[in-house]
Amino acid sequence: MKETIFSIPAPLSPTANLVKFSWEGMHPKETFSIVAGLHGDQLNSIYLCSQLIQFLDAVAKGIEPGYRLKGRVQVIPAANLLALQEGTRLWSFDDLDMDLTFPGNAQGELAEQIADAVFKHTVDSQYGIVLHTAADHYEDAPHLVCLNPDSVTKDLARSLGPEIARKPEESPAFRLKLYYRWINQGIKAVIVSAGKPHQLNQPLCKTLFSGLVNALLWTGVLTCNQKKPRKHTVEFFDSGCEQLIHAGAAGLFIPMAKPGASLKKGEKVGEVVDLYTGAILDSPVASADGSLVTLRDYPIVYQKEPLAVLLGKRKFRFWPF
Amino acid sequence: MERQAIVSYQTPSGQTVKIIKHSFLSIRRWPVKRVAFVAGLHGNELEGIYLCHLLTRHLRGLQASQPEAFKGEVHIYPAINPQAIATGNRLWPFFSVDMNRLLGGENGKSLPAQIAGALLDDLKSSANIVVDFHASNLHLNEVPQIRIIDGFHKKLIPLAVHCNTDLVWVHPPSPVFESTLGYNLNRAKVRALIVESGTCLRLNCDFANSLFNGMLNLLYQTGVLVPAEPPPPVEHPLMVQPSQVALLQSAHAGLFVGHTKLRQHVRKGDTLGEVIDPADGGLLQKVTAPETGFLFTLREHPLVYPGSPLARIAIKETDLL
Repeated sequence: MKETIFSIPAPLSPTANLVKFSWEGMHPKETFSIVAGLHGDQLNSIYLCSQLIQFLDAVAKGIEPGYRLKGRVQVIPAANLLALQEGTRLWSFDDLDMDLTFPGNAQGELAEQIADAVFKHTVDSQYGIVLHTAADHYEDAPHLVCLNPDSVTKDLARSLGPEIARKPEESPAFRLKLYYRWINQGIKAVIVSAGKPHQLNQPLCKTLFSGLVNALLWTGVLTCNQKKPRKHTVEFFDSGCEQLIHAGAAGLFIPMAKPGASLKKGEKVGEVVDLYTGAILDSPVASADGSLVTLRDYPIVYQKEPLAVLLGKRKFRFWPF
Repeated sequence: MERQAIVSYQTPSGQTVKIIKHSFLSIRRWPVKRVAFVAGLHGNELEGIYLCHLLTRHLRGLQASQPEAFKGEVHIYPAINPQAIATGNRLWPFFSVDMNRLLGGENGKSLPAQIAGALLDDLKSSANIVVDFHASNLHLNEVPQIRIIDGFHKKLIPLAVHCNTDLVWVHPPSPVFESTLGYNLNRAKVRALIVESGTCLRLNCDFANSLFNGMLNLLYQTGVLVPAEPPPPVEHPLMVQPSQVALLQSAHAGLFVGHTKLRQHVRKGDTLGEVIDPADGGLLQKVTAPETGFLFTLREHPLVYPGSPLARIAIKETDLL
């Protein structure tokens, strides 16, 4: 079912409608919510939702052999519709980051009203996934983000496919995210981040799509008589395992590794070269062995900017007696 | 006057961007107090930058003629977000990041987050009292006012009354403030006043002159600056809490046409403006004052959506201490 959960009338323009798709089995006990497009330039996640909507429509019509809906699934594929229509990360009218406005405010500004609608329509879920891509100018290897995951959340993460999960530190800004508001309500939730903004990577979406279907099977909201849910291996990294590699100089960054690669200590991540002469100004290297989870995609870099995030073994401050 | 870069970084084309601090040191070995003025966290808020110019010009003259007047220290940070200022943008360019939402915990190590962290550290080591100047966004025009988060008010109101603002507004805490400079300074026991005045991308000389007199008075009242001739006395501000503020919002999408001016007392029922339908010439909403009071916020950007703020009226003064 497609329903409009919030209407955005605009002066001299057609009304934009925030839509939610939902499907449910005969006796739904649990709800699984998926939200994408909190930033208008995250096209992979929006495309991924379209694939899922197509699949679940087919399941509901009984034309997807073996699959049957048992619980309730709901998908909000493009939360920041106004930014999406503008082709930007944020809606330029208010420059508010929608993923820093939760739980929203029904009486507030438009971004807060939309956040309120998204939150209210998903807060009664048992499971949740927020789909993201990397921040502007970066590319993420497919990975998961989960704050202080319990065993159920860890199993949800293991059902999704990516082999890496980051456990961030809580911060004031993090507490304004939809994901945080969900877990604060007891929803078992995970952020999936993959690819880069402003780009559609179909092979990547295909891989992530399989993971999402597997997660629906694992939770039991979807069943399949020909398929059992798979449990993948996931390595969980806390923030102490993250090594940031910064640009020692400003210029053009030429990458020499790819997101998802395993790097050895001392291995080059890339080079920063002079914008005009091409002379090598900096050759950032991995400071320890690790997995490259985020890499700079846009070549123009300022000095001191992070170029890459490596996930390695935790550095102990003191000898771990 | 001493000039110091608290942090610098290189741009891709080779220039060095410096975040500058101007310091007026005390003649005393142990300064009475140390006061800092901060402007330009948002690059399109020019009122504070102009105010820093007025203060620097005045203090330079005073230091040349009456160095003995400086019993304490004054530090001025006139342009925290230089590249955003250069392009007249609120957000840090390149990443669309709000510099005033990056503090108070682990918020990544992006370049703007590093600069925000360096600013916070420098202020904590340089000042007992900080005044952080802001203008409103493109949408609203504000009379000079100080905004204080409830809980910090007992320490801040005794300072705020010296600043020659029209209003001191004590509002309840909200998670969104926890990543701001002002909140984190107050948490660190550095008393921080957040001044909001005018609208972005514009200068209002009346407002700037009022605040300039207020800042000189603050320096005088705190014993930091004791010139031969004391500054002129200032007006006592209106003190309000949220229950004494009437917020008027648009119920429609359209154009707001204001029929009144800011900084005046309005009577219940007075017409403040109207929201019109620009397409068919219809009147969508007549905006009238719901209560008698002081009009301290007025819509500047005519384009409105449902929920857009149109005006705020301080309806009754209160004793907040």
